[in-house]
Amino acid sequence: MSSRDDILGRVRASLHRNAGNAAAAREEIVAALGSRTQGPKPAIDADPHALLERFRLKSETQSSTVDIVAQESEVPAAVARYLAAMNLPKSAVAWASLAALDWGGAGLQVETRGARDADLVGITGCFCAVAETGTLMMCSSPDTPAAVSLLPETHIAIVRASRILPCMEDAWNLARQELGSLPRAVNFISGPSRTGDIEQTIVLGAHGPYRVHLVIVED
Amino acid sequence: MPTARVGLFVTCLVDLMRPRIGFATLKLLEDAGCEVVVPDTQTCCGQPAWNSGDAPGAVALAKKTIAEFEGFDYIVAPSGSCADQIRTEYPGLFADEPNWRDRATALASRTYELTDFLVTVLKVDSVPGDYEGTVTYHDSCTGVRSLGIKEQPRALLAKLKGVSLNEMNGCEECCGFGGTFSVKFGEVSAAIAERKCDNILASGAKAVVAGDLGCLLNIEGKLRRMGDETTQVLHVAEVLAGQDNPPGPLSRKGGDGSSPTGSAPGVRGPLWGGPAAGGA
Amino acid sequence: MHFKANVHAKLSDVVLQGNLKNAKGKFVTRRAEAIRDLDDFEGTRDAAAAIRNKVIDNMDLWLETFERKALDTGAKVLWAKDGVEVCRLVIEIAKRHGVTKVTKSKSMLSEEAGLNHALEAAGIQPVETDLGEYILQVDNNEPPSHIIAPAVHKSLDEVADLFHKVHGTPRKTDIPALTREAREVLRAHFLSAEMGLSGGNFLVAETGSVALVTNEGNGRMVTTMPKVHVVITGIEKVIPTLEDLSTLMRLLPRSATGQSISNYFSILTGVKKPEEHDGPEHLYFVLVDSGRADVVGSDFHAMLRCIRCGACMNHCPVYQTIGGHAYGWVYPGPMGSVLTPLYAGLENSIDLPHAATLCNQCGIVCPVKIPLPDLLRKLREKQTEHGLRPLTERIGLRLWAWVAQHPKLYALGARVGARYLKWLAGDTDRIRLLPTAPEWTLGRDFPAPQGKTFRELYAARRSATPRT
Repeated sequence: MSSRDDILGRVRASLHRNAGNAAAAREEIVAALGSRTQGPKPAIDADPHALLERFRLKSETQSSTVDIVAQESEVPAAVARYLAAMNLPKSAVAWASLAALDWGGAGLQVETRGARDADLVGITGCFCAVAETGTLMMCSSPDTPAAVSLLPETHIAIVRASRILPCMEDAWNLARQELGSLPRAVNFISGPSRTGDIEQTIVLGAHGPYRVHLVIVED
Repeated sequence: MPTARVGLFVTCLVDLMRPRIGFATLKLLEDAGCEVVVPDTQTCCGQPAWNSGDAPGAVALAKKTIAEFEGFDYIVAPSGSCADQIRTEYPGLFADEPNWRDRATALASRTYELTDFLVTVLKVDSVPGDYEGTVTYHDSCTGVRSLGIKEQPRALLAKLKGVSLNEMNGCEECCGFGGTFSVKFGEVSAAIAERKCDNILASGAKAVVAGDLGCLLNIEGKLRRMGDETTQVLHVAEVLAGQDNPPGPLSRKGGDGSSPTGSAPGVRGPLWGGPAAGGA
Repeated sequence: MHFKANVHAKLSDVVLQGNLKNAKGKFVTRRAEAIRDLDDFEGTRDAAAAIRNKVIDNMDLWLETFERKALDTGAKVLWAKDGVEVCRLVIEIAKRHGVTKVTKSKSMLSEEAGLNHALEAAGIQPVETDLGEYILQVDNNEPPSHIIAPAVHKSLDEVADLFHKVHGTPRKTDIPALTREAREVLRAHFLSAEMGLSGGNFLVAETGSVALVTNEGNGRMVTTMPKVHVVITGIEKVIPTLEDLSTLMRLLPRSATGQSISNYFSILTGVKKPEEHDGPEHLYFVLVDSGRADVVGSDFHAMLRCIRCGACMNHCPVYQTIGGHAYGWVYPGPMGSVLTPLYAGLENSIDLPHAATLCNQCGIVCPVKIPLPDLLRKLREKQTEHGLRPLTERIGLRLWAWVAQHPKLYALGARVGARYLKWLAGDTDRIRLLPTAPEWTLGRDFPAPQGKTFRELYAARRSATPRT
């Protein structure tokens, strides 16, 4: 007997599985998968300004820094400002989806490709953002590789204000609506990587970025 | 309200170690207008058996207790732990005996820890005690987490003019007693008690007060071993009932040596750690 | 699993005691603050328990649903009855893909299976990448003492000494500098390992995905950089939908580390597409039984709800006092004292179900409302039923219960007992050595009794003042 059959067989025996209760249980499963019932959610003001403000506050609580610009064309300058202020290199790797922005015009050397170990700055967009916790939702794809937000020591993410949603449940609905099925990797990111493994002292920059900077575009 | 007929469940620890807590409880209930009966065949609620994995022993003692106490309007115990055994655990002991389950459920619904009974059921306006000084209150585990006993003893202590309450850090944390745990894993139990005692001492209170004698024995034993000779360790009933708290132990001649902690002002006679004054 | 023998050593370890004291406060206060921040903590707990129950009650069908979805995404699903089979399957996968090095994100099931040892024996290098796990691995493969903070028992000084010795670098006591040192060592491993191995916080049936919660980013590394990703997880980890995942995620980080959300929360589904820059080409799920199937439908099924947050141990007075190693196996604290007897054998963990005061601090903080004290008590009952407790204890309990059913005998016993204890105390208010229960007086005194029993004094009072 295969291990699969052995394990499932013992589970079935423990549950007194028979054809009758299996049919009923299958219906329950179909219903559960279909209804996608949500649990209790925090009350979050869905007004766009309130969402942006909550997202900004929660992101800062997660040790991200936040800049807000009026339109997308201002993003490269905002990124350049941040890098200069932080005394960080002016070259970066970015998602291909951001290739159209005038990075050179802001004095930056930006390559759109997958990330390498040597990259010090990674620039990404995000699929959407969650105001509840100050979280970015990243969906992987050829144009939006996951490692750009992971390998570099500095991660800069561009967030469209209109894509800030109240809760994670709203993000799932948007993903189902726009992507159909889940991409290989959905990464929810809430601030720089961190560890508390030595004496519960929180240190930023464990294996991922030391700093996360958000540029919110009020579109 | 008509006079409530209350069956006093003394608890085995009070019977063996601190009769004066039983008498203090009796006084509080009688002062509040209850008719109190102490069934003389009572022994133990069966919790030690239940918690040690002896279900048949626990069931037998539960049946005995139910039979002894089901005739009263209320059952009151000066212990959250014992009250909880009757109130929370008894009904579940009789999964296969519906008749007993019904009797257990009926008894459970009328069973109260002392301070809970005084506040929730009797809604007493005053208590007879007259303690003077700062106290800190240790919330015993079963009382606070199973029976929700938190504000009741504090509300009653607040009725005593001379008492001020200084909450310790971690007042809801376990003192390490745990019934048989204290003798199976004495070292761990005492180490947990040490943290509790550190918090008690840091509160600066003159007395630590609690509603369960098991905790109190553990705390007093640890305080004394730590070299603290001054902090009084009192059952809440003793503080609330105050001085004329009959009868004290008569085991030694010459009026029963006094407690090294001396008498608490406002409480006649040494209360804890030494025999109480008074007599029948 | 010699709990009692371990306890003495742990209590006498001054460094450990300091480390535990330090850790305890932080875990407890951070969680309390994070819970306050949630609008409806109790309602969310109820919802979370219901989600977990829903799957456990029909676990066979949910597993099949998950399996079907996972296969659809291009993953492979393997099943392991026990730790031995886990090791065999992982080594087979590694050999198939020419793997010489495995980077690992924290997996308690890998600890259960003793996987690192098996990999090494097969010539494959396992590299633990969670900072805490890494610290332990380079310290002669010391086992973790906590499921969330594996090296919580170690002090900064100990880590400083260890890194100085193992890395051959100047000794440093700056925590960020130590963290950077580990980062640099491990970055090279992330980039060179051919296989990444992770546990799974949840398996989502709706999508056939694994959900991983990490703060360090090592979970993302091991599931993004190597060409093979193997997920090792217990069969109880399935949940229905992404919505359920969101509900559980409101509780898991808050209960574990006091965060409203962990820094990285990854939902991984299937394998890399050819045109993608990163992600594994091969994804394997190893679904492990190791005792879980037998818990389904038993008196202990509620334990399968566990989401491994560690709150029960963080709040356990016993764990806080002795740390995790004393428990002797992978899972410490209250959840461990239930799981170890269930998974490793009741007879192999005689002390564990008793190593608790039943204070129910664990039950109160458990995000999925597992009645841990009730389960511990049930295990005690099973031990008694199977004659696994010492004979003296069983006879003692029986005798005591029998006496307590005979009031006259009991009253006599209490009279004698009260006088005996009083005699032991002599002229003092305390007993320094209690011959009948020497464990009590190991670390504290036993207060003297009044000397007579309540029932004696009450009878005396009644006869002195006859009632009308």
